[in-house]
Amino acid sequence: MLSYNFKYELKLLLRSRWIQLLSVVLLLLFGFSAFNGMEKVEKRKNDIIAAKLEVEENDKLMLQLLDSVERGLAVSVPRWTIPSNPMAVGNYHPRVAAMEPQPMAFIATGQADLFTHYVKPTVSGDDFALNFTEMTSPVQLLFGSFDLAFVIIYLLPLLIIAFSYNVLSAEKESGSLRLLAAQPIGIQNWVLQKLGLRFFWLAILVITVLTVVLVVLGINPFSEVAIYSGLLGLVLAYMLFWFAVAFLVNLWVGSSAKNAVAMLGLWVVFVLLVPSVLNQLGNTLYPMPSRSLMINEMRSMKAEVTEKQDEILDNFLRDHPEYAINDTTQQRGFYHRYMASQKLVKEEMAPLISSYEEQLRNQQNWIGKFKWLSPAIIAQESLNKMAGTATEDYEGFRKQVVGFAGKWREHLMPFLYNNQDFSQADYDALPRFTYQNETELQFGGLGILLALSLVLFATGIFGYKKLSGAGILDQA
Amino acid sequence: MIITDNLTKKYGAHTALDHLNLNVNAGEIYCLLGANGAGKTTTINLLLGFIEPTSGSAFINQLNVKDDAKATKRFLAYIPENLMLYPNLTAVENLDYFSGIAGKTLSKSDLKAFLEEAGLQAEAFQNRIATFSKGMRQKVGIAIALAKEAKVLLLDEPTSGLDPKASNEFGLLLQQLRSKGVATLMATHDLFRAKEVGSHIGIMKDGQLKQQFVAEDISLSELEQAYLNTMDYKELAS
Repeated sequence: MLSYNFKYELKLLLRSRWIQLLSVVLLLLFGFSAFNGMEKVEKRKNDIIAAKLEVEENDKLMLQLLDSVERGLAVSVPRWTIPSNPMAVGNYHPRVAAMEPQPMAFIATGQADLFTHYVKPTVSGDDFALNFTEMTSPVQLLFGSFDLAFVIIYLLPLLIIAFSYNVLSAEKESGSLRLLAAQPIGIQNWVLQKLGLRFFWLAILVITVLTVVLVVLGINPFSEVAIYSGLLGLVLAYMLFWFAVAFLVNLWVGSSAKNAVAMLGLWVVFVLLVPSVLNQLGNTLYPMPSRSLMINEMRSMKAEVTEKQDEILDNFLRDHPEYAINDTTQQRGFYHRYMASQKLVKEEMAPLISSYEEQLRNQQNWIGKFKWLSPAIIAQESLNKMAGTATEDYEGFRKQVVGFAGKWREHLMPFLYNNQDFSQADYDALPRFTYQNETELQFGGLGILLALSLVLFATGIFGYKKLSGAGILDQA
Repeated sequence: MIITDNLTKKYGAHTALDHLNLNVNAGEIYCLLGANGAGKTTTINLLLGFIEPTSGSAFINQLNVKDDAKATKRFLAYIPENLMLYPNLTAVENLDYFSGIAGKTLSKSDLKAFLEEAGLQAEAFQNRIATFSKGMRQKVGIAIALAKEAKVLLLDEPTSGLDPKASNEFGLLLQQLRSKGVATLMATHDLFRAKEVGSHIGIMKDGQLKQQFVAEDISLSELEQAYLNTMDYKELAS
């Protein structure tokens, strides 16, 4: 039966022009969304390049100023910005801490439209007040990004629904089911084969169209074989889930109209409702502390420590006797007091910051526990990870930047407390930031999707006879 | 070949088929006559295993339909009142598909030979079914039965809506199948066709088989009289 279904299913699809129409629609959707995704990545890359160029220019100026100062020449810049002062280097010549886009970043915007991709941490800045949020159009946020992930997660299931909702009911309504049912075949098996073949043809179409689109847009999908295979595997597993839903609906529901309504209802539940409800519940159960309150608390703490800066500095120097030994001048200015008090503020704020981070982690963990309820969440998370735009990626970037800010400060502190000038010779030793992508490629999402699909298919295969009673034609 | 043993089907309080006992042997054409709702289609649906009997049994080629529904379908062919094939496939392709899923692999020349035997004109072989008349589709249905080498043929009002010529041709095809030893059960309203092609005729009313005749032993007018009497159409019968 399979070979005949295989042969004639394709003929019927070709003659009804379904495949042609679907190919065009897929080509347009994949093409536009991949192009859109690439544009965003390109903008991100350009922003980072521009920031780095700005630093390069700034560094040239800094070296020129240092050269003049070292030669004893007068310089026409404000005194506090002269780079022989280590705090001027730390504040006015920061490095760029950039999160370079991953090779497949165009797949999913993920958190990329919420968070920035480069920061310039300064020595006197507060790590926890570093602004990682990006200015984004609220309209854009409302409607989301039209990227490949959007097409795969939201639109591809709708195409599958249009492609599969009436596999059995159309036969019933046209009358050919009676003739089919009079053949020595299992109708359930026949439906499974029909859907299997439609899945097969659609899978071929999706793989071909996706590969063609990427090649046309100048991306070599095979340069990142593991990620590209993971992407295809995930898309196919997600499609399989929707075909499994179609299998159950075809067997149990009935008329084409009812099937279509049932499948669209399930789409709303799995793609819109469950993710939204989980998100809302996560926010209710683990509400995020107010960022404004945190900043207010930080300010009042700063005001408090400002009053005690002399005492704090004394304590600081007691803890760091090396500075007292190396410095022959023993001159103490604003920055000596400020940097010492900053350290204290940072230590005092640590519990508040960690509660903020823990609450975010709790939210993520809570959603993670129930993500199997929605294949859309699983697919979105997996695609974000492949693209390097997942929450974990931005959290990792934030931590790396905070770490780098500490390193930057620690590098310049000895200059400050030893009252040592920064010179051209010290330039090359300045710390530089390199983003490390710490998110490992995981195929857990793919496994969950496959498991969900298998459960649905098994329910259809083993549960159908019990529920349907006399036979398929009784449902008409 | 076709046996029903006290075959009964009830839908709640309504009895659609009431203890039907039938026996159609190889080479016989049994025509079931009756008004709408008499139980003719229910009988065919039960023999096809489309619905389950409330009580009693149906046998095709000595196999119980309820227990071996799939196996019984290897021996039977079915032509409904409106034979719906795949409109976007040609006659040859439809025949290839239906005989293929029934387990018969046939060459193109075999397929054409069966269509020819069923009386379809050669120029229509490669035409899509969407362009076919009902009579032409019925011929493809017969070709499917021929290709399947069915021992049992179940027909549900196959000639309704056919013009006299097409109906006559269909009758001739049934005679051909009869000569090959096929047991046929045909539900019909057409007394004339039943008398002409049937070897046996039964009249059903309210789910019961009221009368049975050997076709040779009864004239058309006697059959008509018996039918009208059974249906209680007294004014028409007189």
